Amino acid sequence: MTEQKLDAIERLASVKQDRLNAKLKSRYARERRFQAYGIASIAAGLGFLVILLTTIFSQGLSAFWTTYVELEVTYDPQVLYIDDATDADQLRLADYGGVVREALLSRFPDVSGRQATRELTSLVSNSAEYRVRERLIANPELLGQSERLWVLADDDLDLLRKGIIDRELPESERRISDQELSWIDSWNEAGELKRRFNTVFFTNGDSRDPETAGIWGAVVGSFYTLVVTLLLSFPIGVAAAIYLEEFAPKNRLTDIIEVNINNLAAVPSIVFGLLGLAVFINFFGLPRSAPVVGGLVLTLMTLPTIIISARSAIRAVPPSIREAATGLGASKMQVTLHHVLPLAMPGMLTGTIIGMAQALGETAPLLMIGMVAFIVDIPGGFTDPSTVLPVQVYLWSDSPERAFIAKTSGAIMVLLGFLAVMNLLAVFLRKKFERRW
Amino acid sequence: MTLSNQYTESMDDNAISKPESRHPVLENWDGTVGQALVEEPRMSARSVDVFYGDTQAIDNVSLDIGKNEVLAMIGPSGCGKSTFLRTLNRMNDSIDICRVEGDILLDGEDIYKKHMDVVALRAKVGMVFQKPNPFPKSIYDNVAYGPRIHGLVSRRTELDEVVETALRKAGLWDEIKDRLDKPATGLSGGQQQRLCIARTIAISPEVILMDEPCSALDPIATARIEELIAELSQNYTIAIVTHSMQQAARVSQRTAYFHLGKLIEVGETDHIFTSPSHKLTEDYITGRFG
Repeated sequence: MTEQKLDAIERLASVKQDRLNAKLKSRYARERRFQAYGIASIAAGLGFLVILLTTIFSQGLSAFWTTYVELEVTYDPQVLYIDDATDADQLRLADYGGVVREALLSRFPDVSGRQATRELTSLVSNSAEYRVRERLIANPELLGQSERLWVLADDDLDLLRKGIIDRELPESERRISDQELSWIDSWNEAGELKRRFNTVFFTNGDSRDPETAGIWGAVVGSFYTLVVTLLLSFPIGVAAAIYLEEFAPKNRLTDIIEVNINNLAAVPSIVFGLLGLAVFINFFGLPRSAPVVGGLVLTLMTLPTIIISARSAIRAVPPSIREAATGLGASKMQVTLHHVLPLAMPGMLTGTIIGMAQALGETAPLLMIGMVAFIVDIPGGFTDPSTVLPVQVYLWSDSPERAFIAKTSGAIMVLLGFLAVMNLLAVFLRKKFERRW
Repeated sequence: MTLSNQYTESMDDNAISKPESRHPVLENWDGTVGQALVEEPRMSARSVDVFYGDTQAIDNVSLDIGKNEVLAMIGPSGCGKSTFLRTLNRMNDSIDICRVEGDILLDGEDIYKKHMDVVALRAKVGMVFQKPNPFPKSIYDNVAYGPRIHGLVSRRTELDEVVETALRKAGLWDEIKDRLDKPATGLSGGQQQRLCIARTIAISPEVILMDEPCSALDPIATARIEELIAELSQNYTIAIVTHSMQQAARVSQRTAYFHLGKLIEVGETDHIFTSPSHKLTEDYITGRFG
């Protein structure tokens, strides 16, 4: 028996090198394949990301530019129906649309008839008359005089200038008629069309007119909503995590609580929206479409994220630090507040910011509580009706006007910008407060 | 004087689970050999049993620590010496499944009695751990932490004095007096451990417990700590757990040998290391196991 075994091993020794080499070859090949799979996965992920970002940027960048038309505006008291420039009411209610119309008709004196006039006036934005009104109310001495004023062009004109409306198409398939094209070309040749940075997009609330629609209302709504979310979820989440990690006895009840917190993190967010609708709005009677309710709902949604990350941050504090403080006679609360909390804070902050970033991008639960309404005014407080950035994206993506496509992508870019800033902040905080022990 | 009859009523060897094979199993043990009790004890343990859940880690230990003496506790790994040390300032309280029976007295007061203030106890019985564990704060704040949380000082100048004295006693002052505001984690291992000792004596404890304080240090740092222990023993009562028999021989006046949760032998250090009375003690210090 022993001899046989020895023989086998001796036999093995004679062929060992060849077999080893053959095996090594296939082992290296397998390792290379394994690496190739990983690289392929990463490449696929990056590829999708690039496709996503290029579509968004190629469509959205044009939203940051807009076209203005220069008009020779005459503040004619006759057209305005103003006889007393000191009367605020008269100034407020005057017919500024008439002034804009007259300015256009005097630019193109050969235009006549209702149809042609309407086509001509449709080339400048409805906001033009508000621009004229602001000017006159601010400077009443302009009454009876004239000046050159840049006003917003209509979105169709803007799209034509950006090449999104193709002027080579036959007239019947084009949103701009040949007549309108000739007026636009005449403006263009005279240098009365200008491309400017689209400040309106960043300062206005929502609007039915694409050229005057902006994201500021949604940004402010998002801000109020996130303030509520942060103020509620951070203290509650951290307190819950500290209690569960440091003070709670380890028994069946705390096990159940832990399992439930982990499960809550996986609950579809729309469920939280329904809960918010049923509890906060219908039962407690809080206002609809308000950031305070949005914040409450998003708090419910982000709490599990914050609690879980805060607990793991607390668990990462080395027990030797706790022992050192305990050995010096620190009470449990002193150990927690003086040592555990400061050491766990970077992890907690990172978790909180990631939770906030999630909340900033959340749409579904806010639809349930009415933050999907069309709101033109910039919200002034926590109970004002408002909408948030991702819901604004959703609303615009649904709008029929062609110009809203660019606006949608533009709003997505702004949202991605905020998310990137928040994630960078999380990385920065982690690096800054990270301590060695 | 043998304590066996007085304090060892029912000795059950089976009570200790998981006896490791490299530990000779006790047969017919009839109690602690040597002088477990002293005339003037600072701390005294009487019939102490410690359980982790169903596992008994300490079995009927009775032992005194005299005033201003250094008591070394030696024994193979898992023999319960660290557990015993930690029951002396109730550090085991934080372990849910840990249960202590018997009496442990500090200056005649039972530290496991109801309504005993653990915080006040730990202000009297300080502890230095195996691995240096300074707080990730400045050197000054590390030493000042104890006096601050106990409200021992009222003025900043007084606190400065306390910090300086503690660091001087720990033999660290001259090395770090210029960088008190620098993080303590930047010190070397030996300096960190001396800082931990300074931190402990800053609250002026009566007893200092040391749990293998040199096991993470190099020989030079170890020598410094040992010198320090000798100096401190003039003012403090010290109980030290160590794996190094040479260390026990160098720093302690009395030595206690633990084996599988039982206190086998206690006596004058010289006596233990030259002519141990118990077979197990002899086997251990001559390096036959452990």
